[in-house]
Amino acid sequence: MKDVLQIVLYSSLFIHLLLTAVAVWRVWRGENVVDRLVGVELVTTLVLAMLVLVSLIEQDSIYIDVALALAALGFIGTIALAKYVADEKLF
Amino acid sequence: METIFQLIAIIAITVGTFFSIVGVLGMVRLPDVYARLHATGKVGVFGVVLLLVAAVVWTPLGWARALLLIALLMVAGPVVAHALSSAAYRIGIPMKRPVRNDLEQK
Amino acid sequence: MIYVWPVAVLTLIYLVLTSNFTLNNIVAGMVVAVIVLLLFRPQSGNLAWKRLPTAVLASIKYIIRLMVDLLVSGIQVARIVLSPSMPINPGIIAIPTRCESDLSRALSAHAITLTPGEMVVEISEDGIMYTHMLDVTDADEHVREAQEMRETMLKKIFE
Repeated sequence: MKDVLQIVLYSSLFIHLLLTAVAVWRVWRGENVVDRLVGVELVTTLVLAMLVLVSLIEQDSIYIDVALALAALGFIGTIALAKYVADEKLF
Repeated sequence: METIFQLIAIIAITVGTFFSIVGVLGMVRLPDVYARLHATGKVGVFGVVLLLVAAVVWTPLGWARALLLIALLMVAGPVVAHALSSAAYRIGIPMKRPVRNDLEQK
Repeated sequence: MIYVWPVAVLTLIYLVLTSNFTLNNIVAGMVVAVIVLLLFRPQSGNLAWKRLPTAVLASIKYIIRLMVDLLVSGIQVARIVLSPSMPINPGIIAIPTRCESDLSRALSAHAITLTPGEMVVEISEDGIMYTHMLDVTDADEHVREAQEMRETMLKKIFE
């Protein structure tokens, strides 16, 4: 059972890596500003998933701390950028 | 007991990876920004939540933080989707092939 | 005195983040929570002690309801994305709310965004939510029913 879990973990990590490449491609060839912002949000979510997978592979909860910090920063960053795009000013 | 936890972890990781694939595929296939936000904002976050369920049952000591991260993601996901769609509407990005639009005739 | 509950919640989050439950750490967490609350001074409503159990029960029911909605919406969007012909009829419809306070209005919008195929785009001053839906054909009655059920649940929590 443990070998199956390892195989599933590594293949899932590889798939997430490929998906991140696709999402970065979408950010590069986006149609407009908000489309690119949606892509950035998706990249943040996928990197979050990869950090959780690394934490499962290494059996170390420090990576979940890193994922928490990334989730909070990505949330505030996306909100600030959306407000800047809509209002042309930050505050 | 250990085997059951491993089985739960395997199922959660498989289904979570499937939902991540669906999120990226929706980002590529759906026609405009508003529909894409449905795919990324809900399905993408759903994938991470399932991976975190695996982390809750299988990482030693990390379960409380994983639960906190699940709560944070579930609160933050809809807020981000609303902020981005509101910004898209204010700078005037049109919908592709809308069936009806109540906001236009406000 | 009105800051008792926020201090408790913030201290709990601090303890979870540091995962260290000694007495020193609990005191440090309380000090940090009080400093944060003094910096931001949130407008907290008055809490009625008598109806705390009903409010907690209603909140738990509401959170379970949200989880089920998240699951259903994930499966629905996945079915749309994976089908080859992409059966979507997108559109924006207006959903009226009867929620008075800002907090319950915000929670209602959050719940709408979590339910299948709906996403709030704009909220006007008089509380009408303009919601983007992936499939707007014969959506009106269905949406109204779901909205009324959510509002009764929110009323149970806040009144």
